Amino acid sequence: MFKNYIKIAWRTLLKNKLSSMINIIGLSIGISACMAILIFVRYEATFDKHHSKAEKIYRVVQHNKLPDQTLYWDITPYPLAEALRNDFPEIETVTQTMGPIGQEFTINNGQELKIYEEPRVLFVDTFFPKIFDFQWVLGDPETALEDINSIVLTEDMAKKYFEVSNEDFDEVLGKTILLNGKDPLLVSGIIKNLPGNSNQNFSMLIPYGFFKAQNPDHALNWSGNHQGTTYVVLPNTGLEKSLESKLASWKKKYLKPEEDGRISFMLQPLTDVHNETAYGNSPGGYIMPFNILYTLTIVAMFILIIAIVNFANLLTAQSTMRSKEVGIRKVLGGKRLDLIVQFIFENSLVILGSLVLSVAGLNFLLEQLNINLMVINMQLELGLGHIGLIFIVGLLTIILAAVYPAVVLSAFKPIRALTNKIQFSEVGGINVRQSLVAFQFVIVQLFVIATIIVSLQMDYFKSEPMGFSSDAIVMTTVPNFEKLDVYKQTLLENSTISNMTMASGPPMAVDGLQLGTRFRLPKQPPEEALDAEIKVGDPNYVEFYGLELLAGRSFTTNKEAFDEFIVNETLLTSLGWSPQEAIGKKIEINEGQATIVGVVKDFHNNSFQRDITPCIIMNWAYFQNQAFIKIGNNHTDAIAKIQEVWENTFTGSVYHLKFLNDSIENEYLLEKLIFKGFTILSLIAISIGCLGLIGLTSFMVSRRNKEIGIRKVLGASILQIFFIFSKEFTSLIITAFVIAAPLVYYFSNLWLENFAYRIELSAWMFLSGGCLTLIVAMITCSFQSLKSALANPVNALRDE
Amino acid sequence: MLLKLNNIFKWVTTGGQRIFLLKDINLEVQEGEFISVMGPSGSGKSTLLNVIGMLDTFDEGEYNFLDESVHTLKEKHRSNLYKEYIGFVFQSYHLLDELTVQENLEMPLLYKKYKGSERKAMVADMLDRFNIVGKKDLFPAQLSGGQQQLVGVARALIGKPKLILADEPTGNLNSQQSEEIMQLFQKLNKEDGVTIIQVTHSEMNAAYGSRIINLLDGRKI
Repeated sequence: MFKNYIKIAWRTLLKNKLSSMINIIGLSIGISACMAILIFVRYEATFDKHHSKAEKIYRVVQHNKLPDQTLYWDITPYPLAEALRNDFPEIETVTQTMGPIGQEFTINNGQELKIYEEPRVLFVDTFFPKIFDFQWVLGDPETALEDINSIVLTEDMAKKYFEVSNEDFDEVLGKTILLNGKDPLLVSGIIKNLPGNSNQNFSMLIPYGFFKAQNPDHALNWSGNHQGTTYVVLPNTGLEKSLESKLASWKKKYLKPEEDGRISFMLQPLTDVHNETAYGNSPGGYIMPFNILYTLTIVAMFILIIAIVNFANLLTAQSTMRSKEVGIRKVLGGKRLDLIVQFIFENSLVILGSLVLSVAGLNFLLEQLNINLMVINMQLELGLGHIGLIFIVGLLTIILAAVYPAVVLSAFKPIRALTNKIQFSEVGGINVRQSLVAFQFVIVQLFVIATIIVSLQMDYFKSEPMGFSSDAIVMTTVPNFEKLDVYKQTLLENSTISNMTMASGPPMAVDGLQLGTRFRLPKQPPEEALDAEIKVGDPNYVEFYGLELLAGRSFTTNKEAFDEFIVNETLLTSLGWSPQEAIGKKIEINEGQATIVGVVKDFHNNSFQRDITPCIIMNWAYFQNQAFIKIGNNHTDAIAKIQEVWENTFTGSVYHLKFLNDSIENEYLLEKLIFKGFTILSLIAISIGCLGLIGLTSFMVSRRNKEIGIRKVLGASILQIFFIFSKEFTSLIITAFVIAAPLVYYFSNLWLENFAYRIELSAWMFLSGGCLTLIVAMITCSFQSLKSALANPVNALRDE
Repeated sequence: MLLKLNNIFKWVTTGGQRIFLLKDINLEVQEGEFISVMGPSGSGKSTLLNVIGMLDTFDEGEYNFLDESVHTLKEKHRSNLYKEYIGFVFQSYHLLDELTVQENLEMPLLYKKYKGSERKAMVADMLDRFNIVGKKDLFPAQLSGGQQQLVGVARALIGKPKLILADEPTGNLNSQQSEEIMQLFQKLNKEDGVTIIQVTHSEMNAAYGSRIINLLDGRKI
């Protein structure tokens, strides 16, 4: 019997190639999109969960209570770990790390010296490998970090520095790498590359003792700038609250009284580090907030449900064509149960086809995600478990989508089925179908309009004037300040280079090039000081970036003891001065006192997410470690020239060149990811929605087949018939638009509030999204409506 | 006696009025009879056939089939009864397009749970008897109308029914094909003793039968 079912199923599939393909592809798009999102969510929600002690590890964080706000810091003073270890025997293990920070390494491979710069070098103490599980390929985790002149590499680094294959790692052990050109470090271990879903994203480990020996003052300093992170392991979960309260009274032992009042140490579960936004991301990492993950899960479920509903719809619509077969089979002795089994079996075959295709589709989607999200080191993999899950989803689909049409179909009365008198009311209400499709188009338009708004905001980032010029400006580092003049002179001699300035950073804070301070009037007490950003610039800085002077002048010199400030308008508003009044006044910052000699018009010193903040440019001879070079039209030549001059001037350092505009664009990385995400989701929503529409149209077409026949016989033109169908789904999409538009309005306003500078929402953004959807829908439906409009009315009207 | 209809009424209500499809039909059919039902369009011929075939219900009256009172039977029993004893032949053949001739013949046997070897033997026998062995692997669309109806009749017979109901079996055929089918019916009736009730418009076809029933507006005349 099953052989017979398979035969019929296969031949039916072949006979209706187009609709079978729509069924199979539609369902598999839904399943693979849903799975890809769920795999992504799972990946993002399981950061660092692979460590065996993950549930008991806590990161120590600081809450810094200021009069106007509380700052949440993921960094801790360097001596914290040791103090905790001494004073709290109940803590199982404590580890202190420093970094990850960028370091330069030199390697002598026998023929030449090679210099590399590594952005993610982490200094860790000997307790670190006891807390976190890494896969050690070579070396002993217990001892590898004991000698302070040792270094542990990941496999990739070992390959990069020693040009060896996996089998030859033995050779690497014991070899020497020079840190910053002077300190020899012995390779004492190799660990497997870290998984992508870990916040521990270092490429090399150097003993913390080395850092301590090099920076004895820093390492013992409880206040000031630090890049330390402290982790503790508690014997059990649930002890963190009691430890936190003990820390509250303990910290005065080490902190200065004024800091003791402000700072409190809290414990953050390791497993929350990646998903909690308060503390920001550690260098090189990123945060994936919980609410985005929840939203994505809901979206994934919606996609799956819609795909299943569409599938059931299409199957039911197509099954009416099988009514004759139902009639024949019943007359020839088939029981209802036989028919139910047959149709479920048949539909299951289609579902099986979709599942196989889903696995391939999922694989493709994951690859695309990995490629597109390379910046966050995304490493999604298709596992056997995922395939298993796909088949569970398939089973669910069979229950939801295959049983329903089978039950409907098998209930046909044979005599009616044979004479094609099946009423469409017998295969489910048209209203239900319409509402389902309308609902899908609400979602389609949500995504489409949201994508339009996100893209406009992205465009705004690029097109809105920033208050300074950024075109054709490249940045290089200045590793050796003494050779700065040579570098500058040689470059300016070249015709491809028109202008240069040395500074601590560009006008907009990019790549983390931002120095903070607090400012006040000399007569004010330090507590009343306000936050400000400082930039160190040479006398050419204001002119180079085209900053507009409202009063006063630019610097004339740089001095080792700075004495002049140029400030922005925003800083003046907090002091209540006009630009002219400000000239000649003195203000005090953490670094010292100086006179205001110039006031510049506000420029965007922060990316568009944030407001313009008080900003001070100072004539200091230090911290001018960035060279900004304006190049002519011939970029290639200019860049080649810069590299040549740079490498000749600063021998022994690693050359870097960046376009300022690229760095500015990087400030909008998250927005760019959101844009990509919305684009992909829009495409998925549109394709699934259109499949739903095809299902509905085929339904409407068969339901009104006879009506169309009569209309044509009575003289309706093809265009008029086409309009009958167009009218139906146009009203559907307009209804969907009316529901979707306010929703998008609400949510996009919410999103736009993230930006201090943003586009104004206006009606055309919404209308264009609606029109776009309508056009796509129109094209989708036109095939079937036209087919019906063009059909010979005789066929529609013939009754046996 | 094979079946007996007593005062059968069937009606539909349209606009508050009863429209009778069958009105006071009395009919007794003996085994081995070959009956032709005749009448103009809308006279209730097909309805009568469907009632006899138990594919359709009636509103009043009694129907006995092989000593079972069909009017008291539940739907399920009724369908079991027709599936066992009645074979249907349709004007438009109603073969399954996706199945070959052989597979079409085999289908009723699948539902009757015959074993594979038995099915094969029965199908082979039927192909042989109807002289269509050479066509067994063709699909219905590859056959002429007459050949399709031949397969239709063979399929109706393969379950060894006591009664064959044929609703205008030659309605879609040309005169030569019609004659062949009618001769086949006659042969089945005479040699194998199969009871046949056919609906027809044609006097010539009706003449093959042993008895003619004339209907007009749902009444026997």
